[in-house]
Amino acid sequence: MKVSLNWVRFIDQKYKCAADPAPAGIDALVEKIGAQLGAVEEVVNLGEKYQGAVVAKVISAEKHPDADKLKVCWIDDDGVVKSAPRNKAGHIHVVCGAPNVTAGQLVAWLPPGSTVPSTFDKDPLVLEAREIRGQMSNGMIASAKELALGDDHTGILVLDGRFTPGTSLTEALDLNDTIIDIENKMFTHRPDLFGQLGVARELAGIQGQVFKSPAWYKEDADVAGDGRSNGLKLEIKNDVPELIPRFCAVAIKDVKVGDSPAWLKVRLGAVGIRPINNIVDMTNFYMLETAQPLHAYDYDKVKSGILGARLSQKGEKLSLLNGKQITLEAGAAVITDGQRPIGLGGVMGGADTEVDENTKNIILECATFDMNLTRKVAMAYGLFTDAATRFTKNQSPRQNRAVIAKTVEDILRIAGGRLASRLMDDKHFKIDGKPVKVSASFINSRLGTDLRAAEMKKILQNVEFEIDLSGDQLSVIAPFWRTDIEIPEDIVEEVGRLHGYDKLPAELPKRGIEPAAKNGLLEFKDRLRGILAEFGANEVLTYSFVHDDLLKKTGQDSQLAYRLSNALSPALGYYRFNLLPSLLEKIHPNIKAGYDKFALFEIGKGHDREHKDKDGLPQEFELLTMVYTASSKTNPSGGAYYQAKEYLVQMAAKVGVGLKFKALEKLPDAPLAQAYELTRTAFVSTSDGKFLGIIGELKPGVRASLRLPEHTAGFEIDIEALLGAKPAHENYRPLNRFPVLEQDFCLRSAAKLNYQELTVFIMENLKKLSKAHGYQFNLEPIDIFQKAGDGSHKQTTWRIILWHPERTLTTAETNKLLDQLAEQAKKELKAERI
Amino acid sequence: MEYENQEVAKAAESLRRKLKSLEDKRLIVRDPALTALYDRLKTLPPGKDRASFGKEVNGLKNELQQLARDSRQPAETKLPPIDVTAPFNMNVAPTDRPKLLPATQGTRHPLMAELSEVLDIFYRMGFDAVESREIDDDYHMFTSLNFPPDHPARDEYDTFMTDDGLIAPAHTSIMQNRVMRRYKKDLEAGQGIRVVIPGRVFRNEDLDARHEHTFYQLEGVYVDEGINAGNLVATIRAWLSNYFGKEVKIKIQPFYFPFTEPSFEFAASCPFCEEKGCNVCSYTGWIELGGCGMIHPNVLKEADIDAKKYSGFAWGFGIDRLVMLKYNIEDVRHFESANLKFLRQFK
Repeated sequence: MKVSLNWVRFIDQKYKCAADPAPAGIDALVEKIGAQLGAVEEVVNLGEKYQGAVVAKVISAEKHPDADKLKVCWIDDDGVVKSAPRNKAGHIHVVCGAPNVTAGQLVAWLPPGSTVPSTFDKDPLVLEAREIRGQMSNGMIASAKELALGDDHTGILVLDGRFTPGTSLTEALDLNDTIIDIENKMFTHRPDLFGQLGVARELAGIQGQVFKSPAWYKEDADVAGDGRSNGLKLEIKNDVPELIPRFCAVAIKDVKVGDSPAWLKVRLGAVGIRPINNIVDMTNFYMLETAQPLHAYDYDKVKSGILGARLSQKGEKLSLLNGKQITLEAGAAVITDGQRPIGLGGVMGGADTEVDENTKNIILECATFDMNLTRKVAMAYGLFTDAATRFTKNQSPRQNRAVIAKTVEDILRIAGGRLASRLMDDKHFKIDGKPVKVSASFINSRLGTDLRAAEMKKILQNVEFEIDLSGDQLSVIAPFWRTDIEIPEDIVEEVGRLHGYDKLPAELPKRGIEPAAKNGLLEFKDRLRGILAEFGANEVLTYSFVHDDLLKKTGQDSQLAYRLSNALSPALGYYRFNLLPSLLEKIHPNIKAGYDKFALFEIGKGHDREHKDKDGLPQEFELLTMVYTASSKTNPSGGAYYQAKEYLVQMAAKVGVGLKFKALEKLPDAPLAQAYELTRTAFVSTSDGKFLGIIGELKPGVRASLRLPEHTAGFEIDIEALLGAKPAHENYRPLNRFPVLEQDFCLRSAAKLNYQELTVFIMENLKKLSKAHGYQFNLEPIDIFQKAGDGSHKQTTWRIILWHPERTLTTAETNKLLDQLAEQAKKELKAERI
Repeated sequence: MEYENQEVAKAAESLRRKLKSLEDKRLIVRDPALTALYDRLKTLPPGKDRASFGKEVNGLKNELQQLARDSRQPAETKLPPIDVTAPFNMNVAPTDRPKLLPATQGTRHPLMAELSEVLDIFYRMGFDAVESREIDDDYHMFTSLNFPPDHPARDEYDTFMTDDGLIAPAHTSIMQNRVMRRYKKDLEAGQGIRVVIPGRVFRNEDLDARHEHTFYQLEGVYVDEGINAGNLVATIRAWLSNYFGKEVKIKIQPFYFPFTEPSFEFAASCPFCEEKGCNVCSYTGWIELGGCGMIHPNVLKEADIDAKKYSGFAWGFGIDRLVMLKYNIEDVRHFESANLKFLRQFK
């Protein structure tokens, strides 16, 4: 929201609303706005642009001797600009290309050394004295466009006659303005702050000053004069009173459409609105001043003399003022000529009834459109106009009649014409006079302040709230423009903000010393994170949304994934099932960047459309995923699977969980299994059999499509399952004081007996055999070997470490034990000790 | 393919050998041995020799491209089955058995490391933590937070939606209703509700150095009897002072959220320059950090909390921004890039 300080001052002074808004200077005001109204995005000193520009009178304008389209002029600045060369009469020579320059005009002259205002913000053009086709030109006579006061560059800007030559342009046109741009977001709930009047009120309020709105704004008004006798037929037909609670309109006859006076252009230009013509500019002026949008129609183009309002029907066409034709969906508010749509209500007027230079008669409309409908329509057609911005803030229907009456008055003043109808006023709203009741102690309890009820009353009255004070109780009636005030908390906000948030006493809340509960899952994730980082792996974060292509490359069916209906790009089209594909995708770029061997892991969530939680929402799977890779440059050997497994086993051991691995007979249908190569993949469970996840190498096709080194493997586990696993804590064993005996034990077995089966067998039997003697032991894998040419057998070697906690163990005892073990192996596994 | 020109034939032989050792086979066409042939071609005078030389060089390039394409389908390199229960592969030398990478190259993600530091402060202040969701419904994103249907305030949140009508949360406030319900019994037992909510949030925004569509927020909720806006300021000041290791000042500015009344934005005095102005605070002396406010009575009511008896405050801020400030990180996109060059800087 751009606020023009001059506009605010104009309102304050002209209507005697308040004292000066910046008694302590602009910096202090801006700071106060930031603290009590909303964040200031930018402060622009408008006057800087016009440094040096002065009002000059054109003394003569003759055709350039060597150019058809140029004129050579003598102008008079009353000798104010010292540096310019003059003739004997004290006049200055300027060449001008505008067709409309004539002797006697008052114009804006930009002398040499000044900057063309329209170029001030970027690539500033500084003028100089130079020859144009042999004729000296000292600076230039400026058009409205060059002065950044509009788009008109067809001719120079001609000023009204009341200035004396030599007056600075900033003074003449009130250009010495400061524009304070306040972030719109702050005003989402504040209809009044989208008008300079509302801001003027608030600027008084935050400085503890009284503000009194102009009399013309506060009450329904009538327009002066008798419209009926001038006779233009005007009828209004509002079919949707629930969405358009007020619809005012009036006809004016014989207006003279033309350029707006300079003061009006300056006002609009200051807040960034392009001047169009005197009628449109006047409607914009009052929208900008009061936040109440208005619209003017060409009466003769409407033809029917009827202004209707209804909901659109599907397929209706409407040409808009922005030059676009839209085909309407059903349900938008449209203004009609009784039949066809001629405007998109609350959003944008239609091209067919536009006021242009040939317009003689106009209809002025001032209606209130429902905020929610306006939002829907603005979004549906992508039309975020100034009018829509205001209506979506819930403008009060109680201002329409006052605003239209005032606008009519000013149109008649600057564009001539006569009133040609009654002021039509179709209204369907009730005034809710119910006060908000709130106690001073409630307000203090929410703010932490210690304000007296009378102080609160004063604070609120400054911005025209009506307060009935009875002891501690405030009965508050908000002014009509504050449609946002509904509950006691709204009054808390007003008092706090107008009093000043910086004055709130900051004290910590009091509480007991009960320990806060702790979130086991969050802590556990942090622990896993720490463990893997210690293991040399790098934690990454990747997007929760993935490309359809990535799902395909990893064998996943996007039908089962949640698809975003408004994704930024296809790359972020789907909620991922799991993290593995995202991690695999990040391998190649890192290899390309020169990393040969690394492990990436991520802790995150997965979703699919099948699994719902107890609230019926998508279940969130808490996943820990890691990938390990080594490029061929490092000559990796031994299988990436075992590398990933080492990480998983060691990590689980750190959190006290033993793991079991099980080969797969076939890949399950679940999306998270699809990337894995069946014969080099295992299910992981806890040693007591609870499913944890999956680990394995990737299918050759997956490797190829994601350009992964052959030596790549990964695992993905359910963190909640791991957290829930019973720690496999072995009981503490007292330190052994006796020597240990180590023996390697090698079995030749069928190749199809897997390591886990063999090891479990040995563990169980050792346990059984040792029990009677009280031996204790440990087991370590030493080697797994397959002879070339014998694919059906293998030799597995363990180191068995034996001891007795109470005495020295003899070799004979050990040998006996291992012989028994070998015997068992032969009997049960058909395995030979070697 | 055979090449008649000696030079080309020799290059072909060495390039074929080189191709085998290349990780990214496509790079073979940029090999100096090949580009040298093209450079040589340019020096030859126009004529028959030049034409035939050119033909051979182009032929070699095509051959290499074809070889590169072929080798990119390593579908052929299907690996033999393994014993997935074993600790290492068969016939592997002890030196080639699985080893963890050096601990010195391991890292936590800076956002997660920072988050745990921040959470630690809140734990010490007596807060519990509850993680936010990554997919949610309209009720928790909007309705439970006092956004009426079709309300224009919804536009301020550029939310991603799914075909199924679900929402990618645009703020961690989606958890407010849930935590208030979950901890209501503590409130009624006179202990108050104190919860922080970390989580990943999403905004439908175009990416640039300062904007990510995915980032991390930390929400805080405090509800008890007699809680006021001054308490809010003091709480934020206490944690930020603890975080920065020095007293900071807190400034609140009016703002608008449908779920708080009044609503504020909060900023901290710049801890890096003592408010003198530096590039971290853009020479303003202040760092804008997040939004906060007194929980709207409708939000309390929606969680079955008696809004007459209890009041509370909530706040939210971005973890990403905090980390960017702390390390002077120039581009927010690094965070989700999984780029080791970036990640390994955070030990």
